[in-house]
This record gives sequence, structure tokens and C-alpha cells, in this order.
Amino acid sequence: MRRGMVIDLEKCIGCRSCVVACKQHNAQPAGTWWNRVVTPGSEFHAVPPVKGREYFLPVHCQHCQNAPCEKVCPVDATYRHTDGSILVDFERCIGCRYCMAACPYGVRQFNWEDPQKSMQDYGYLPGYTFGYPQDYRLNGRLVYTPVRPKGVVEKCNFCVHYLAQGLEPACVRGCPGKARFVGDLDDPDSEVSKMIRDKNGFTLLPEKGTKPSVYYLPPKRKEV
Amino acid sequence: MSKKTALIITGFLMMAGFAAWVYQFKEGLVLTNLRNSYTWGLYVSGLAFFVGNAAGGLVLSSLIYLFGVENLKPFAKIGALTALVNVTAAMVSIIPDIGQPLRLYNIFIHPKLTSPLVWDVAVLNLYAALSLTYLYILMLPDLKGRLQWLAIKVDNPKEFSQKLAKRLAPFSLVAAVGIHVITAWIFATQGAREWWHSAALAPDFVAAAMASGTALVLAVSVLTYGLKEQYRQAYRTMSIIIAVSLFVHLFLMYNDYFIHAWYGAPEAMETLSITFHEYLGTHAFEVLAPLAAVILLLNEKVRNNAAAMIGSCCLLIAGILAHRFLLMPGAFGKIALTISPLGLQDVEWPVPIASGRYSHVLDTFVTEWHYFPSAVELAIFTGVVAFAGFLIILAIDWLPIVNPEES
Repeated sequence: MRRGMVIDLEKCIGCRSCVVACKQHNAQPAGTWWNRVVTPGSEFHAVPPVKGREYFLPVHCQHCQNAPCEKVCPVDATYRHTDGSILVDFERCIGCRYCMAACPYGVRQFNWEDPQKSMQDYGYLPGYTFGYPQDYRLNGRLVYTPVRPKGVVEKCNFCVHYLAQGLEPACVRGCPGKARFVGDLDDPDSEVSKMIRDKNGFTLLPEKGTKPSVYYLPPKRKEV
Repeated sequence: MSKKTALIITGFLMMAGFAAWVYQFKEGLVLTNLRNSYTWGLYVSGLAFFVGNAAGGLVLSSLIYLFGVENLKPFAKIGALTALVNVTAAMVSIIPDIGQPLRLYNIFIHPKLTSPLVWDVAVLNLYAALSLTYLYILMLPDLKGRLQWLAIKVDNPKEFSQKLAKRLAPFSLVAAVGIHVITAWIFATQGAREWWHSAALAPDFVAAAMASGTALVLAVSVLTYGLKEQYRQAYRTMSIIIAVSLFVHLFLMYNDYFIHAWYGAPEAMETLSITFHEYLGTHAFEVLAPLAAVILLLNEKVRNNAAAMIGSCCLLIAGILAHRFLLMPGAFGKIALTISPLGLQDVEWPVPIASGRYSHVLDTFVTEWHYFPSAVELAIFTGVVAFAGFLIILAIDWLPIVNPEES
């Protein structure tokens, strides 16, 4: 079993719903974004770099098979789950940020200060909280917590807390374009494996040898 | 300046650095000028810098006890001392970089053996233990009077000391090369950062360390022993080691730049342009300052002047510090996820990263950051430098580091 994701760029309309769903569901502190959607080549989001031609690219943790972040973690806080996804133990992380230096995708986020404090800076209403409200432990390890400790690294956990309830990740459920698909990349007959085969699936930075578990399907035409 | 004044100044800076760290511990690393796209700065450069300065012990002990350069013998203890102090400072300097320092024990109870950081912790501790043992063995014959209680009882301390020092020399040589190689591997193993991902980095760390580590021993030696005739030859030997090491360092560095510049791949050119455009002043300093220092040190007239020698050594060490600082801009100044957008000709586009910090003026997602350490980072780093200075002065004052009959 290797849990992976396919994102169909033909279907992505650049609305950033997945970004917002991810941020809200996972109680991400102010300034922290596990997921982002960009318009490659453009100066601003959703502005075509060439008149009438644009596409959108969602980027989050690629859950690599050869994950440098996992290998550099000195304390095994970043580790691989049995389904192949890469998780961070909020209680184990020492905050050395080696994984952030090691990750070529820029998806890892650090808690530079106490999240309660940064929420105040952002001007959120006092006492306002959002996101999945409970801690989630996997074999005793804290892989999701709504209240982040200061000084630890975090990133997309493939919504492991929702997987336990049989739910798809928040970004998949929140996508109005139905551009995201989750499945078993080890099974050649799975929907995701077929899509990758039939629609020329590609990965980001293949030259880095990280072997991502997130595949993209190229858009047939650019959004206009 | 008397020893007492020096101790007061370094002690004060040390306390100021410690206070800055306590403040940062309370508030978080938000007090640094780092951010999600630029995660390592002066603290990690500091680790590489202090590890490099710890090379002095290796150079002297191996030259004396493996290659028989007898005239360096009076300085062996200074070498072991600067090695011990700097490797300690290296470990201290990295603690402020840790977001959750109280969890550091996890490195010992849950070490992940694929992490170069774990290897580095192991080898730095080993080297600290070896340097301490070495220093102790060399001091043993002189542990008399009020220090008598420190001495283990052996029949002939002088002979025992020499014999053991000779036996330890090969191990300390391996450990000393090891600390530079493994510290370099922390960076060089990272394929995500082209600036570091080079086979030249580890040998270059060894070369730069031999230059700065020896320069530190030379400076402390001149400061304690002065320019007496019987030491002239040893100072000349050390100056030559510094010069040769620096030339090897410059060769390895420019060799790496040259092959990348010739091929001209856009990602390599962007990385190089950070150093050669944005940080041109710092780059000029990292090359010209040490170069000027070795030209001065190779001049016999300069070697007749204690202040000029110490100044040259400091200039060289400052240049190597600038070199260590420049480890970061080339690595973090370029967004690793830079792609060629589908359907666009000749476009390289960096995918912005969430800065992780709120600012009224800055964007949420960023691609550029011109890093310069914050006041807190500078205070803490200065504190660690002062800590190293304080320990060296204190040890020279209290322990038989300087041979009484020769000083």
C-alpha cells in the first residue's frame, strides 16, 4: 500500500478552496499554509503570464518515497507511516529545521512563535479557534494537534486524522472542480495508477530523485 | 590589556549573549530574521565556524607526534586547548538554533542513524573528549602545587605523557578530520540545495579549518609566548601551514564555481549570482582578507611584530567567518522548487513559500529574502565567541598551558 494523490491540472480552476479547506480543517496557525496554489510564470495569482494562457499548480507535501526530510530528522520526529505517507510527531520534534533545509518543495512550516500570539497579531477575534478540535495519535505518536507548540515544524499529514474515520483529505473533499484523487499507487489497477498511466502523470522536480507520491496530470489546454 | 580586563569584557559579552538567548527561548525564534523560506542563518554558520577553529589541535598533534616536527612541541597544549574550547563552542552555538531545546535529549534516546546531524553530535562529543584527554595528558607533568590533586599517580609523568600523546595522535587525527567532514556532510548531502550539494564541500571544510584552526593557535601562541628567538621557526611553520591550507581552500572553492559557471545551467547560475552580486562585498572579504593575512604572515618582517601577526590571524579568521556566513544565502536565497511553467518559453519560475511570519508590509507567500542576522542573533553569536575567549584566557591563567620555563 502506498497512499498517493493525483491532481488533475485540467480540472483545477485556481480557486484555492483546497488551500482554505486545508488551513481551516487542520487549524493552521497564522502565517502557516500546508497547501498553496500558484499560477506558474505569473506575477500574481490567477493572472495569465501570457495573455489568455494560464494554469494552476497546487503544491503541498509530496510524501516522497525517497524523502530527504525523513532521512535528516535527527530524532525520528518526521517518520514514514505504514501507508508510505510522511508524518511529523509534534511531541518529538526539537525544531532544528534540518528537514526544512532538506525539502526541495518548500512545504514545511515552522512555528516561529507561540501560535496564540501570532493569532493576535493577525487580528483574529480573541478566543476564536478553528479546525479539527481534537488531538490525534497514531500508535501513541501525536501526528495532529489543534494547539501547536512553539518551535516545532509542521506540514501536510495527508489528513491522517480523517483517514482514521474513513474520510478523504480536506483538500479532496473541498475541491469544487473535483481535481484531486487519492488512492493506492502500488496497485496498478487503482484509479490513481490508471490516471497516471493514461494521462501522462508527472511529478515535481523528478531530477531531485525524491520520488514523490503526488502526481499531476497536465492540462490539455490553459484556462482562459 | 590585562587578563583581568579581558575576562571582564568576555564575561560581560557572554552574559549578554546568554540573556539574549533566554529572551529568545521565551519568545521563540521569531526574534531571528529567519523565516520558512530561509530557515538557517548565523547560528548554523556559527557551528561550521567553531568546528573549523577546532582544527588547531589536529594540526599540531599530528605534526609533532606523527611527523616529528619537534619545534611545535611548546604549542601542543595551546592546540589541544583551542580545539577543546572551540568544539565546545560549536555545540553551544547550535543550541539557540533549536526551537525546542528542552527536547534535545531525544537525540540520545531516539537517534535516527541516517541523519548527518546525529553523526555530527557523536563526532563532536568524541572530539571534545579526545581533546580533553589530550590536554590532560600533556599537562600531567606540570600538575603540581595547588593542581596536585588533579594529577593521576604514575612513575615518570614526563615519559608517560609523551608516550600516551604519541599513541593518541593517530586517533585525534582521524577524529579531527572527521568533525570537518561530517559537519560538511550536514550540508553536502542535501540535494535540495545546489549550493551545498557538492563533493568539494567536505575537503574544502577540512582545508578552511586547517587555515583558521592553525591561525587561532598561532595568535594565542604569540600572545602567550611572544616572539622569542627559539619560537621563530615554529611560527614560520604554522604560517606556512595556514598559507597552504588557505590556497587549497580557495582552489577547491573556485574549482567548484568554475565548473558550474562554465556549464551555465540556470539553477547553478542563479545560485552563483547570489554570492557574486547580492553578497559581492562579503565574498570579496572572504577571499581578500585571508589572502592578505597569509601574504603578511609569510613576510618575515611582519613576523617580527607580535601585533601584526595577531592582527593577520584575526583577519584570516574573520574571512573564514564570512565564508561560513555565505553558506546560507546561496542555499536559501534561491527557491529550490523553481520550475519551467508548461507552455512557456525560457521561463524559470520560483514557486513562492509561505513566510510563516506575519508582517503588515510583506507578502504571505515569498520568493526572496535578503537575510541579515537580527540583534538577538548577533548578541547570542557574540556571546559564544566571548565564551570561547573567556575559556581560553581562564585556562591559560589557571592551568599549566604555557610552559613556565619557556615563557
